[in-house]
Amino acid sequence: MLIHIEDVFVAYGSPPRAVLAGINLEIQEGEFVCVLGQTGCGKSTLLRLILGSEHPMRGRILVDGREHRQPDRTRGYVPQKYSLFPDKTVLDNITFGCEVSEFGLFGHLTPTFYRRRRQLRAEAFEYLHRIGLRECDAKKYPDQLSGGMQQRVAIAQALMTKPRILLMDEAFSALDPGTRRGMQQLVRDLWKATGTTILFVTHNTDEALRLGTRVIVLARESADQGSRIAMDLSVPAPCGDAEIPSLVRRLEVVSESCAL
Amino acid sequence: MSVGFLLIHARPQRAWATILSWFLFAGGIAAYLWVAQARHRENPEDRVTPTIAQMATGMYNAVMQPAEEDEAAPPAAGFYDRLSHSMLWKDTRATSRRFLLSLALLFPAVLLGLHMGLFPYVGAFFLRFVLFFDKIVALSLLPILFIAFGIDELSKVMLIVIGVTPTIILDSFNLTRGVPPEQIVKAFTLGAGDFDVAYRVVLKQVAPRVLNSIRLNLKAVMLFLFAGEMIASTDGLAYRIALVRRHMGMDVIIPYVLWVALLLFLVDLGMRTINRRLHPWFHEA
Amino acid sequence: MLWRLSTLVLLAASAFAQKPTFTVGWSVYAGWTPYHYMNKSGVLRKWADKYGITIKVQRFDYAPSLDAFVARNIDACTMTNMEALDMPAASGVPTTAILVGDYSNGNDALLVRNGLQLKDLTGKKMLLVEKTVSEYLFDRAMTLGGLRDQIKRVRMINTSDSDIATAFIGDANASAVVTWKPMVSQISKLKGVSSLFNSSQIPGEILDLTVVRTDVLSRPDGSGQKFAKALAGAWFETLAQMSASGAAGDKVLAAIAEGSQDTLASYKEQLSTTKMFYTPKEAAAFGASPDLKQKMALVRQFCFDHGLLGANTKSVDDVAIRYPDGSIQGKPDRVRLVYDTAYMQMAAQGKL
Repeated sequence: MLIHIEDVFVAYGSPPRAVLAGINLEIQEGEFVCVLGQTGCGKSTLLRLILGSEHPMRGRILVDGREHRQPDRTRGYVPQKYSLFPDKTVLDNITFGCEVSEFGLFGHLTPTFYRRRRQLRAEAFEYLHRIGLRECDAKKYPDQLSGGMQQRVAIAQALMTKPRILLMDEAFSALDPGTRRGMQQLVRDLWKATGTTILFVTHNTDEALRLGTRVIVLARESADQGSRIAMDLSVPAPCGDAEIPSLVRRLEVVSESCAL
Repeated sequence: MSVGFLLIHARPQRAWATILSWFLFAGGIAAYLWVAQARHRENPEDRVTPTIAQMATGMYNAVMQPAEEDEAAPPAAGFYDRLSHSMLWKDTRATSRRFLLSLALLFPAVLLGLHMGLFPYVGAFFLRFVLFFDKIVALSLLPILFIAFGIDELSKVMLIVIGVTPTIILDSFNLTRGVPPEQIVKAFTLGAGDFDVAYRVVLKQVAPRVLNSIRLNLKAVMLFLFAGEMIASTDGLAYRIALVRRHMGMDVIIPYVLWVALLLFLVDLGMRTINRRLHPWFHEA
Repeated sequence: MLWRLSTLVLLAASAFAQKPTFTVGWSVYAGWTPYHYMNKSGVLRKWADKYGITIKVQRFDYAPSLDAFVARNIDACTMTNMEALDMPAASGVPTTAILVGDYSNGNDALLVRNGLQLKDLTGKKMLLVEKTVSEYLFDRAMTLGGLRDQIKRVRMINTSDSDIATAFIGDANASAVVTWKPMVSQISKLKGVSSLFNSSQIPGEILDLTVVRTDVLSRPDGSGQKFAKALAGAWFETLAQMSASGAAGDKVLAAIAEGSQDTLASYKEQLSTTKMFYTPKEAAAFGASPDLKQKMALVRQFCFDHGLLGANTKSVDDVAIRYPDGSIQGKPDRVRLVYDTAYMQMAAQGKL
């Protein structure tokens, strides 16, 4: 298995309040896992544990058999906001990962730099088309794009470095429903094409069901306890419109028990 | 003008807005001329409020004549010859040299603030001290500066550096900390190393704000420079002002002050333009 | 009826209450700090009351005191003869020197490092406050040493008096410094520093005066003259107390020293290089002597040569000085500075 989470316990603040308690989870390569729960249920915390930017108080998290103490190339990341570098054009944002891995701070001085950059840019243009943007968008800066377009570029940016896992933290929560549908389709298509393991955090039950092959619900039993995995559901893919309402009801009953 | 012209909703016409903005200048100049005239009527040799003609003469002499400590220009000297040996040019060159040197020394301060914000150990080491040092009134340290650096250029530049650097470091530090953590995490997930994050991600983002911060501190730099020059110097704009004050030469002082204001305005404008050119993506006031 | 009476009473009362008020400004220097004592001990009030006026005393830093005097914010001020010529006189504020307090008799000095001589100073760094008595002292030193043409080749660095001691002590490259006491005493303590020239070699050229605006003195109601008389009376009474021998004198000196935060010993040391005119007779005699004219001639030439009489002044005679014997140095229609010994003489004859 790709991700192995063992008996993890996380608490914040003083006095410490438990956020996650006794989480045991295994994720296989190629799964599309959606983590569902109310606000404050620790789903973002779970994502950050896998990302490596947070560490559990107890237990361990193994990615590909190793513990990772900080974020790196193996896990790509698409946050809800601030996903793109504002000082770089769309094209530069997409090629950033490969450029920074292959060339250091003074990479401009190496002879192979310019040739390689042309190759990377060609590849980036392909991604650009795949996410549905046009050539003229390549030279734009992030603040000239709409929210939906920004997130598309963010996904392309994350995928170009071909991470094994893609972590998306409420990536579509700031978008309007129409745009969301398009983005959901995009992510699903990209997942099928690249086979990346995706962990998708959301509070929208409908979205979780449409996207994932597996839905995990985090909920608390009582106010002073950490969240546990309240439900681990395998979802038939694709999830048809007919089946969704009943599943949604089931899930919401479970997740509503999460008190802040 | 409609009834609500003084309110928040008011929408002044362009013409009115322009006229209004020149009002205070016109008013100030008129008030000065009125006072000067009154004083000159009472005492024709008054030197405290020179007339425009006197200031023009003073400025002309500053631009055409060499400083009194230098030899007089040969009578056959051409226009540009006279200009390049004039008092104003000599003083401006001296002050500008110190000013630009101090500005250049502010850039390491930016880098220090950047590292303090990103690398926790560096921050732990420097922050408390910089916060303390920021509160020290640099002018009071002058005696120590003289002993440590002599009374030539170095002590003046160090005065500026000690006075303004802590502000720049702290500004840079706060701006670095203001970069959303998602950006830094994102950079790591894309394969960046620590120094890539520092220079290719954070510094690039923070650069226009840092330039603005330096721009806003230009006045402080000039203030310290003036203090240093007035206290011990052989040349410079503030030196000349201190000297000429001994015989109330306001006909030189006032034009000099306006000249310095113009220079500062030009430097500010230059920095704003450079900022816009280098960072077209940055959109803020 | 009642209304008319009360108005009369009010007018009379206001006339009484409105005693003419004058302000004299002073700054810290051995010869001027007696004003602090004069004020605090009540000597000045006594004399002011005698003439039915109010005199306020205000302390300044030196340059601000000159500014205040030129701006007519104060009526009288303590200053040197050089500044009396440059600042009020040349700015078109006619001034009268009513009291000659003292002359610097060693208080101003040129100090050098490593036994340098005057001729060695060419090209060397020298710290001083430019355009003041310090530069005048240096000018005279070089002139008397026959080195007038070398004056411009000495690297003068304008250094403010409050920092000049630290600056000289801290910078080994500074070869010379011209300043006054107490900075001179501080610097002299340094090893290898010696005095090359001081004001005792040019006695009477650096005078400390109390000056009053001429227009104040010539007020039609005569209150200005009362002001001058009160000042003169209080001044010489204070000086008499200062010069008393033994413990009584020391007590007064200590009270004066307080005004400049000096110890009694250091103040006495400063007084030792100041030629005070303790009696009105001496002061009046000096003011009337032909020596004064000679010294002022040197001073006014220096001021003109250095542009201190104003950038627009075309000739040294444009700022003229009148002396007690009626003679005038400069153009008669442009008298701006007057040496008036009348008040000192009145004090000498006990007619105050």
